Amino acid sequence: MNSFIGKMLNVDLTSGKIETVSIPTEWAEKYTGQKGLGTRILMEDLDPKTDPLSPQNKIVMTSSIMAGTIVSCSAKLAIATKSPQTGTITDGSIGGHAGAELKYAGYDAICISGKAEELSYLYLDPDKAEIRSAAELKGVGTFETEIRIKEMAGDPQVKVLANGPAGENQVLFSCISTERYRQLGRGGIGAVMGSKNLKAVAIRGWLDVHVPDMKECLKVAKELHAADKIDDAEYEIYTDGTPILVDFSQESGLLPTDNFQEGTFEGFEKINSASMKEVRAAKKACFSCAIACGNYLKGSKSDVEGPEYETIALCGSSIRNDSRDRIIEINSICDDVGLDTISAGAVIAYMMEMTEKGLHDFGIRFGETEKAVEMVRKIAFKEGVGAEGAMGTKKLADKYGGAEFAMHVKGMEIPGYDPRGSWAMGLAYVSAPRGGCHMSAYPIEAEAWGDLDPYTYEGKADLVVGLQNSQFAKFSMGVCDFWPVASDNLAKLYSVTYGGKWTAEEVDIIGERIFNLQRIFNIMAGFDGGDDKLPGRFHQENLKSGPPKDISMPEEAFMKSMQEYYRLRGWDDKGKPTLEKLKALGVEDRFVQQYETYLATS
Amino acid sequence: MPLRVKKATCTGCKLCQLACSGWHERCFNPEKARINVEHDYNEKGIHIGIHFCNQCNKCIDTCPENAISSNGKWILVDRNLCIGCKTCSKTCPLDAVRYDSEGKSVICDLCEGEPQCIDWCPKEVIYFREKKTQAGRETT
Repeated sequence: MNSFIGKMLNVDLTSGKIETVSIPTEWAEKYTGQKGLGTRILMEDLDPKTDPLSPQNKIVMTSSIMAGTIVSCSAKLAIATKSPQTGTITDGSIGGHAGAELKYAGYDAICISGKAEELSYLYLDPDKAEIRSAAELKGVGTFETEIRIKEMAGDPQVKVLANGPAGENQVLFSCISTERYRQLGRGGIGAVMGSKNLKAVAIRGWLDVHVPDMKECLKVAKELHAADKIDDAEYEIYTDGTPILVDFSQESGLLPTDNFQEGTFEGFEKINSASMKEVRAAKKACFSCAIACGNYLKGSKSDVEGPEYETIALCGSSIRNDSRDRIIEINSICDDVGLDTISAGAVIAYMMEMTEKGLHDFGIRFGETEKAVEMVRKIAFKEGVGAEGAMGTKKLADKYGGAEFAMHVKGMEIPGYDPRGSWAMGLAYVSAPRGGCHMSAYPIEAEAWGDLDPYTYEGKADLVVGLQNSQFAKFSMGVCDFWPVASDNLAKLYSVTYGGKWTAEEVDIIGERIFNLQRIFNIMAGFDGGDDKLPGRFHQENLKSGPPKDISMPEEAFMKSMQEYYRLRGWDDKGKPTLEKLKALGVEDRFVQQYETYLATS
Repeated sequence: MPLRVKKATCTGCKLCQLACSGWHERCFNPEKARINVEHDYNEKGIHIGIHFCNQCNKCIDTCPENAISSNGKWILVDRNLCIGCKTCSKTCPLDAVRYDSEGKSVICDLCEGEPQCIDWCPKEVIYFREKKTQAGRETT
């Protein structure tokens, strides 16, 4: 079969009906795979006003055109759904083998709707697709779930996307796992699976993937791997992985500390990459990845593949935790119960600050790391005060106050970069369709860690728009973030895997089209520019140390910069895409009309 | 020259399998590769298993149909003689024999002298090692 198969498995868990439907070739050319294809499929017939935890919500799992081929880092599987955490569209990707396995099973996508009567799992391979009982796995962690599903399927080669107890309990920031330590962390995908009584998806494939010209594909892929030096023995993502960023962030004064009250952390050397490497037992790669970012660590109490930088920042410095072992322990528990480590750490940090300030006693203070370990479990099982934490920072702040230091955007907790130390990150956080997220754009590389002045908005809206468009194309074509591949090379890779002759301009337009499609989904879900805002802390409080000492982000100038961002995007001053812009991007007429009707009636 | 591996440095990316199937079968399918990597977590940590042909030649010695031979550089399987009895895979100490769609043995032929797995391995896990010389020494 070709690299674009044109097949999707439609699964209705309520009726038990499973059918294979065609995916139009046009979708592959306008939206490619993963993020873009998932967004397009979700837009097809999901009302943006849908309750995310209702049976009507859909979970769309997508592979990519390049998945299953020899193109490095292309095997991730993406999932798009409406997020119960934010109410926005959300999508993310998960490493390991699942994206390639879906392709080898003969599908580009799976679309799951409805709600099963009992806890179930979906099994699919090239010959069959079945909804099977997972009743015996109720409350079981993701680690054991994966092992048991393989046993139940009678095939150790099955790739399993496992939901944990946090997802079953519909914790709003619950994640799913595969191959033990690979997670799709953000946006509450686990809660959506939980709401559907879906414990796991098990995929097994063995079909051939063909490309238009094998010789050319091998040649181009090899050349570009070498040109971008992704297999270089000195590439930091391989030698260190993301923990290398602890030193970078500390040096730039933007390492979240005590719930973003500070940007430097006294104990950073205990939790940086050098420290993590002391207990590293092995390196691990996802399928087809020449880099191998994964670090398998053996801590005193737990093992983990990780911790990634974001986990170190949010479950380390931000809760005043300078214990490597404790970070590993929290990370491992989160992976097993199914909690996003960014949001889990952030909500605990908020609870600590609320307690210390005497605004509400959550019984936990900065530095009480043993209690943080307990809190993670309590959140997952919604026990005692954990039931409060499970609401997430936004809802907690709505209930108890402290909104200015509830560190989220649109309900999604902010990751490990204080934007006061790299102002364009603030623009990226508020404009990211899924909320406080560092994946839509990573301008910090050009600012705090590059040549640009990090403490000005000048030229930053333009920077963020360009980065977001290329990231959205890259994450749709299927390449992992750790391959810094330029759009022209992405076009070459797409040409040798899908066919045709693609250009960098076409690649960037694909990214911009998908970004706009996600934006209008959010507009039709009830959002507008008024929701594109940062927590008050970043505007009102100066950092106290490091290079951004005595710096905060002036709110008025920030708003002005966002107006510039909207203008560059071709949106109106309320952050709403114009109809002309959507048409110019080639967004389908039916979506433009749906959006126009919404604007006329809202 | 037979293949050798440095197992501990393998990251489990399976680019070797993709290169192998791409070169031999003109498709990407790790199940059709003549090398097979296992890289999974188990109760002790990470299990790494690399199944590849190290040219021990046991398959040649035990094939009841004399379908397997060596040209002095790599293994050759005569598909006309192979009856798919699987004696070779039962004998293979590294579980490196695979079967095609007709059930006939598929064994690494070093891509006729230019192994793609070596070329594509990003961590230099797979390499050539010359067979022992008469003096009993190995040279790389």
